[in-house]
Amino acid sequence: MRVAIPIAAALALGAITARAERPADFEARFAAEARTADPAFAGFSAERGRAFFTNAHGGDWSCASCHRNDPSVVGEHIVTGKRIEPLAPSANAARFTRPASVAKWFQRNCNDVLQRACTAQEKGDVLAWLMTLPAKETR
Amino acid sequence: MNDRILVWDLPLRIFHWVLAASFAGAFLTAESERQRDLHLLLGYTFAGAIAFRLLWGLVGTQHARFSSLRFGPAAIARYLRSLLAGRPERHVGHGPIAVLMIPLLLGLGLVVAGSGWATYAEFGGEWMEEVHEIAAVAMLVAVVAHVLGVIAVSLLQRENLVLPLLSGRKAGAPGSGIRTSRPLVALLLVAALAALWLPGLAARERRLAARGTTAAVAVEVGGERANHGD
Repeated sequence: MRVAIPIAAALALGAITARAERPADFEARFAAEARTADPAFAGFSAERGRAFFTNAHGGDWSCASCHRNDPSVVGEHIVTGKRIEPLAPSANAARFTRPASVAKWFQRNCNDVLQRACTAQEKGDVLAWLMTLPAKETR
Repeated sequence: MNDRILVWDLPLRIFHWVLAASFAGAFLTAESERQRDLHLLLGYTFAGAIAFRLLWGLVGTQHARFSSLRFGPAAIARYLRSLLAGRPERHVGHGPIAVLMIPLLLGLGLVVAGSGWATYAEFGGEWMEEVHEIAAVAMLVAVVAHVLGVIAVSLLQRENLVLPLLSGRKAGAPGSGIRTSRPLVALLLVAALAALWLPGLAARERRLAARGTTAAVAVEVGGERANHGD
């Protein structure tokens, strides 16, 4: 433990001080991953992303269960009722700027909705859709 | 000389197992948003247990008080040597290693609970979440060390140290025990737990039922349609 704590602290510090990125950086990374997974990768589709986001995948939840069908507005946690800030980058500049945060939430939420990890194609499709959403008045 | 004497009062025993159970439960509910409400309830329980322990360390019965933890480095070294030599020193209440373990566990517990609450309240940003996770893992390591230590000392001392945390009783000289188990304080503790958990679980039931009803209504409508088809 004497060794583990400084290492963990250093990792945490690294995550905190990491350069802020833009949504397009994540899209490029997902595209590279998708191409590696499937050489026939033909780009992302906002429409496919919207369908993926709003449909339940055989379970009881979809992404929209908490983030709403229009994630450019404030959402609400389906279990705790807690406010969830908009997911669309146009409505919330903090979204898709920190790799650790993006990785963490895709992992958690994909497990809850799909009972598996999302593929790079799926993440890219969703992000492509989110990036097309215009900003709205948010409370 | 060695009778079964009362050493651990009832509130202390309840505290110990509530802390253990809430810590384990919080770990099991950490990874899914489906159990986020349970994770919060377990976290409040955990924080409340630690707050109680800090208070009980000041005003509790003799062996629960922090003032009973008067062991310096020399006493710890002597105790460890006695264990290794197979002639274990016996302590009625906490042994010298508790001087290290209790502050470590309670201190990490405070960081875990505080950072968890701050994360949920969106206080301090994402690094707060890192603190929460790192402190929780550090505490898990400390808990494993604590459990292994208790097993090792139980074997070396040929004395089951876990059982007294249920019964309150240990072998010891008459007069070195405590007189009362403090049942009223234990009752208050149980009442506080009930006041937290009963409404919490009822709210969870209501939310689950609300979702279940929506599904049931859909099934019913479908059934009616099927009947019309007949």
